[in-house]
Amino acid sequence: MDRFKQTFSSKKWLAIALATLALGIALSLVSTAFLTFSNIQSVLVQASVTAIMAVGMTFIILTGGIDISMGAILFFTSSLFAKIMVETGSYSMAFTAAIGCACLLGAVNGLLVVRFKIIPLITTLATYTMYRGMAIHLTGAQNIPVPREMGFLGNGKLMGIPVPILLLAIVFVLGLYLLNKTRFGLYVKAIGNSEQSARETNLPVNWVTILVYVIGGLTTGIAALILLARVGGLQSGIGIGIEFTVIAAVVLGGTKLSGGSGTIVGSVIGAVFLVLIDNGLNLLNASPYIYDIVKGVVLLAAVIIDKVSFERQAKHLLEQKALRIKSTSGVA
Amino acid sequence: MPDLQAAPILSVKNLRKSFSGKTVVDDVSFDVYPGEIVALVGENGAGKSTTKNMLCGLLQPSSGEIFVAGAPVTQIKGLEHGISAVHQELSLFQSLSVAENMCITDLPGAKANVDWKQADRVAQEQLDFLGIEIDTKASVESLGAGKQQVVEIAKALLHADKLLILDEPTTSLTAPEREKLFVIMDRLREKGVAIIFISHFMDEVYRMSDKFIVLRDGKQVGNGYLKNVPRSKLEEMMVGRTIAESSIDIGIPTDVEAVRVQSLSSYDFHDVSFKVNKGEILGIAGLMGAGRTEVVESLFGIRKSEGEIYIHGQRVNKVSIAAMKKLGLCYVTEDRRGKGLFGIRPVKENISAADILRFVSRRIKGFGFRGESVEAQKIVKKMNVAIPHIDSQVNNLSGGNQQKVMLGRWLATQPNICILDEPTKGVDIGAKFDIHNMIAALAKSGVAVIIVSSDLPELLEVSHRITIMRTGHMVGEFQRDQFDSVKIISLAASSAFEQAH
Repeated sequence: MDRFKQTFSSKKWLAIALATLALGIALSLVSTAFLTFSNIQSVLVQASVTAIMAVGMTFIILTGGIDISMGAILFFTSSLFAKIMVETGSYSMAFTAAIGCACLLGAVNGLLVVRFKIIPLITTLATYTMYRGMAIHLTGAQNIPVPREMGFLGNGKLMGIPVPILLLAIVFVLGLYLLNKTRFGLYVKAIGNSEQSARETNLPVNWVTILVYVIGGLTTGIAALILLARVGGLQSGIGIGIEFTVIAAVVLGGTKLSGGSGTIVGSVIGAVFLVLIDNGLNLLNASPYIYDIVKGVVLLAAVIIDKVSFERQAKHLLEQKALRIKSTSGVA
Repeated sequence: MPDLQAAPILSVKNLRKSFSGKTVVDDVSFDVYPGEIVALVGENGAGKSTTKNMLCGLLQPSSGEIFVAGAPVTQIKGLEHGISAVHQELSLFQSLSVAENMCITDLPGAKANVDWKQADRVAQEQLDFLGIEIDTKASVESLGAGKQQVVEIAKALLHADKLLILDEPTTSLTAPEREKLFVIMDRLREKGVAIIFISHFMDEVYRMSDKFIVLRDGKQVGNGYLKNVPRSKLEEMMVGRTIAESSIDIGIPTDVEAVRVQSLSSYDFHDVSFKVNKGEILGIAGLMGAGRTEVVESLFGIRKSEGEIYIHGQRVNKVSIAAMKKLGLCYVTEDRRGKGLFGIRPVKENISAADILRFVSRRIKGFGFRGESVEAQKIVKKMNVAIPHIDSQVNNLSGGNQQKVMLGRWLATQPNICILDEPTKGVDIGAKFDIHNMIAALAKSGVAVIIVSSDLPELLEVSHRITIMRTGHMVGEFQRDQFDSVKIISLAASSAFEQAH
């Protein structure tokens, strides 16, 4: 039992994996339409946009930061892509500009956080407003269609696998590698544990911090292209607010908002879990208005469960201390 | 055994450090040979930390000579010279594994492809060297305090293995954990590693060390081989005087009970009982972590505890801050920046804060403040706070003036039981004198005073009675006419180990 507890707490993503599995089983019992190949595939495709962004967000949150400008980066990147496509028709130019720009906007976030040491929440709140404004300014708040071939990114298949799922797989594997196999990955977690210790240990704190925001921008750029392809064109305000779904996925996946501990696997499963809730409510013919209520309650429940188990641990430690004091005799 | 044939690993002569003209450490001279354990002892504020920081290279000495392996250097470079320190606050990354923590500054393999197996091996070898079994893949937060300490030592030795500085390594350890640490220290000694061992615990110092250095008020007052010096002599060197000659008249306590605590227990202390009469000053002595602050915070209702508390003979059934304030208690915290003052608010508001209802204007119900400035002005004058204006920001004041503001805030509530936690921590001599006089005046006016202080001379000076806490227990008490600083220190600093023998 102890052993089980240990694995369970050290691999926090197991909790969300089990919850997802349980929800999946429940849904397949309720509706025969759930456990079909096409439905599962469509769940994954739907989850791909948030899941890809969640990979980037995990890096940021692991350092103890947060990026709430992701939705605005998505909006601006897709605007830029659509605009360049309309004006030049050059795919290569549009792709390069969009991805490059996404990284750049992320880098700006990182630079601001590092240079001025303003808390990331406020920094990215400001850049969120700024980036959104830039996007509206760029497009004049128009809807811009993208060429039909673009749909390949959103709905096409390669070797029988939907392209968004392939892209998610690539981002997922790269993310895993970066976090678990490289120096950078270890530094990310170290900074989230204690930025001060990381500085005292002489780790390249500033570089790493800037880089995680760049990764956040990059994943958002990729997600932007998929979303644009799936929707078929730029709609004003696309992606705005998506960062909260992304953060929810990361938190559900067991990553601590204070940084230092968390996994990419958890975040991706978290994103899938959120889509499963939508999917399930849809299969149950629930009113579309309650979707957000349910997701909010689930998120709250996850955070409360986490908090309660943490407090139980803390109390246990205190009780041990009390016992230790009691056992040492007070007689001199 | 110390190898005296070899050149000393480190040798310092007349090391001095001053900050903006004020000398904090002076005249430190000693040699450390391979395989030697040197104890660095002294009371709180004697200059141990500054000395430690100079020895591990965090601070550059203002003057003096340093020789590393016989060669003169101007400043110690930890890594280069093989000197590392384990500080009192551990610097490990809690959620990372043992191996990750130990190797983080020097990861094996390529940048983009770390060789974790090799890292595990390096960590394992180092832990084997220390003779301790720890799973290198376990996360640090899953280990107890003792093992965390060992990981920190292993990490330090990985990069600098000639001289290790251990700063109070045993304060957070249990008795068995401590024994394991000592085994490791002995092992290091055998391997020729020298250790500078900073400790409050005299029995540990005598058990582990070959030599000693005593600091007092920033000056080295003695060094040499420990076996030639009895413990009482060493303690006398630390304290400087055996009996306090008080210059302050603290009056004579009445025999009317003001506060009585009976069998108070909590997570941090066990079965604590004491009482204080009106006009009496009770000093609570002890080391950091002995549970003193926790006891007084429980008395004031900040922490939960079990047991009985009587104020003016009446049992208090529901202990809360509000109830205690109503009964005339006040508590001045040791952490004035963190818990006491509102740093960016003016002095005026900081003074009125504890008794704010008195100033709420009644003319328009609950709106506006009256008399706040006048009252604040009065208190500033009474407390002798040197500030340009009562609207000055508290953050800009000196430590002494901040402390006076905080005291003034609570004295404005006209308490009849006053709890002061480290009332002169980080204040200058002048302010200290003022505060001591004020405490004496309080007692003479019939207020019961409880003072928690790590500054023993201070307690000797202003207390009628001193009670001593150690690891959550009250372990002794002295009346003013029996005050004996050596005995008090020795009571406070004996460890659980010593009791067992």
